[in-house]
Amino acid sequence: MRVRRGNEAGGSDAVRLYYASDIHGTETLWRKFLAAARVYEAGVLVMGGDVTGKVVVPVVEDGGAYVAELFGQPERAGTDEELDALEHRIRANGMYPHRMNAAEVERVAALSEDAREAWFAEVMLVTFERWLALAAERLADSPVRCFVMPGNDDPHAVDGAIERAARVEGCDGRVVEFGGYTMVSLGYSNRTPFASPRELDEDELYRRICAIADAAGDMDRCIFNLHVPPLDSTLDTCAALDEHLEVIMAGSEPKLIGAGSSAVREAIERYQPLASLHGHIHESAGATRIGRTLCINPGSDYHTGRIAGCLLQLRPGGVRHQFVTG
Amino acid sequence: MSTTVSRDPSGAPGLFTRRATGLVRQGRTRDALFYNVMWSSVALTFAFFWILYPFAYQGSNAILAFLIAAALGLPGAFLYAMLAQVMPRTGGDYVFNSRALHPVAGFAANVSYCFWLAVVYGVYTTYIAAYGIGAFSRVMAGYTGSSGWLSFGDWFATEWGLFITGSAAVALSALMFILGGTRLFFRVQVGAFVLYILGAFLLPIIVGIFTGSGDFTSSFDDYAANLGTTDAMSTLQASASDAGYASAGFSFEATLKSVSVFWFIFGFIFSSNYFAGEIRLRRRTHLYSMPGAVLVAVLFLLALTPAYLNFADYDLNGMLGFADPAAYGFAAGAPAYPELAAIASGNALFGGLIVLGFTVGLLIWLPQTMLLISRSMFAWSFDRIMPERLSYVDPRTRSPVVAIGVVTLLAIASTAIYAFTDWFSTLSVLLGLSLTLLVTAAAGAALPYRQKAMVAASPYARTVAGLPLLTVVGGLAVLGFGAAIAILLWDPGSGASLSDNPGKLGLAALVYAAAIVVYFVSRAVRRRQGIDFELAYKELPPE
Repeated sequence: MRVRRGNEAGGSDAVRLYYASDIHGTETLWRKFLAAARVYEAGVLVMGGDVTGKVVVPVVEDGGAYVAELFGQPERAGTDEELDALEHRIRANGMYPHRMNAAEVERVAALSEDAREAWFAEVMLVTFERWLALAAERLADSPVRCFVMPGNDDPHAVDGAIERAARVEGCDGRVVEFGGYTMVSLGYSNRTPFASPRELDEDELYRRICAIADAAGDMDRCIFNLHVPPLDSTLDTCAALDEHLEVIMAGSEPKLIGAGSSAVREAIERYQPLASLHGHIHESAGATRIGRTLCINPGSDYHTGRIAGCLLQLRPGGVRHQFVTG
Repeated sequence: MSTTVSRDPSGAPGLFTRRATGLVRQGRTRDALFYNVMWSSVALTFAFFWILYPFAYQGSNAILAFLIAAALGLPGAFLYAMLAQVMPRTGGDYVFNSRALHPVAGFAANVSYCFWLAVVYGVYTTYIAAYGIGAFSRVMAGYTGSSGWLSFGDWFATEWGLFITGSAAVALSALMFILGGTRLFFRVQVGAFVLYILGAFLLPIIVGIFTGSGDFTSSFDDYAANLGTTDAMSTLQASASDAGYASAGFSFEATLKSVSVFWFIFGFIFSSNYFAGEIRLRRRTHLYSMPGAVLVAVLFLLALTPAYLNFADYDLNGMLGFADPAAYGFAAGAPAYPELAAIASGNALFGGLIVLGFTVGLLIWLPQTMLLISRSMFAWSFDRIMPERLSYVDPRTRSPVVAIGVVTLLAIASTAIYAFTDWFSTLSVLLGLSLTLLVTAAAGAALPYRQKAMVAASPYARTVAGLPLLTVVGGLAVLGFGAAIAILLWDPGSGASLSDNPGKLGLAALVYAAAIVVYFVSRAVRRRQGIDFELAYKELPPE
């Protein structure tokens, strides 16, 4: 545990924690997340969920070359270097390149939705395990604690990969401790229009948060790490969608609603932890207070190659925050 | 949960997509387009041109002038669209410049932009009083002969009339955000847009098509007769002649100088970049809504200008500037294009709609700009340069109410300046605003070298003739913005020329210097609190 001393660090015994979330399979952002420990001199890294991506781009063999579609444009890679560059661009934009032949593409396209989802999870897991190996390499000789929690979009297969990882610690659904502080984590969200893998009804969400928080002890030294932000907190504002997932417009702007969780809000109001960290709603970055609890959502611009995060200075009697986009 | 398959035209799947949160369809491009078209104040600028024509631009060709201005602004529109795609974050040029150049450059340029926008509030609020509500009252008087309407309208042209009306309009804008948030604002904007397009463009164009100068003279005389003056057109011509008015032939120099006026549109027609990042849109949304707005504005002006000239030619507009308005029955001041179109319509209903449409265009600019400045302030506060309180968002309305309060006070101060003093001319704010554009253009050109990974991951990673695409577009934008600034510094009518108003350049520089001081003082204070806000701009190595 790195404990910075002196006034610039926010006083003695300050713990510097770096939080980011919703990188959605963007490898550049995972690498930046790991680098944040050194650059920001953070002793604790927390990845708050939705680490896996949403899109697999078939890189299809085509007569000695490979072709793919990126941003709606056909791309062709004739050499190994061009292929590496193409796959790098796909990864950098939060998508998974997957080398296939035309027959395999057709086979996957013809799969049932469930079977294709299972195939998707396999493709993602290969990349995710490579990321965890990268973390083991980068953090090998470092005292940094690195916590990774799945979010509502992440398939259940990632849980086992996190538990098996050498230098990454799981925290979902439990209390973890660092530097005299505890952290209560839960990656599930309330219901969304997308029917993602980890969603719960509000009652069940509240029950699970309380079950973990009851074991956390002193709330003056406790942080909540809950993927979904509290309802109507200004950290959960996003475009309303209709049943076809189309943005509902109000005049010349999307109609905005609070899509956070009432269970999360109720839990924060009840327990009043020192701080509460959230992701999930990419476009609603900000900080607010619910009672005495500092609530943070750094947002996500994962498709830009920039990682939106927040540095927290935890010190006796308080917490300071600073948004950083690296 | 389910997956979907996207197919390209050849039939092979282009990609496999999971059903996951955030995979929403794109917002409608036309909404950002409407915002840009409305905020850039095409109708107001058209009025500016004819008001300023007799004094500063006699001999100018309006169509050539706005086409040159559009050409100068077009590369910038493309650049802003591309930057909004590469860095989709609230704050516009503040975000672009702080990441591409240096945080202090981003902050100073954005403070300058917001400062000059706050100053320009006074132009809109005083025009609302004089050329909006005042003109509407006079139109009613002109068609009904009611002296009550006339004296009511005249009051709006007084100093206190300008100040009170303008301040009330600003307060109403703030109240709209405080009570109903952006949701209420955007509802109001829809109605405003319809009335604006109908009144400020469609009706004047239709009136212009069917009304020649002879018909207009007859309508003008009838209208002025209701205001108490007979044979008004002849009186107007005589008064202008007495004041030294002489018809002028085409002058390219005057045309080039009058680009200053149309820069009011084409230098600022891409303002949706300030909030475009809040909802993720697809690549071409910004390309259509920013350069697309340039095209729409050009089309509006191409239709409006000849239609207007059909009943109010260059000579009439020149004479209106020279003649004594009281002599031909317009004691509160010479009529601007909306009132002239209202007169040409020969109909109280159409006339009223024309002036109302124009006025609504001015009114809606107030909350639009409040939105824009408050979002910049939000970004400064978000990065901890400014106090946390400034980014406080009301949970009910989701509006940054503190920032809106600050903008309200600045806007009322600006209204007082324009109502009671002559410190700033109509166009003198353009210089300060354009300097920020120039900084952003330089930032765009530099971005591929300053943030290689960011650009490489973007849809604009391509090169043109060996140069990064962003550098090419940024370079063209530097040329366009630079040329516009050169014209502003050369044209005495801009109110910021080196010959007549050298102090304005100094003032623009002073605003930058003050912002730089604020930045470094804030940095020192924050460091004592354990916060190094320059970390907010530091690129993490993807090692």
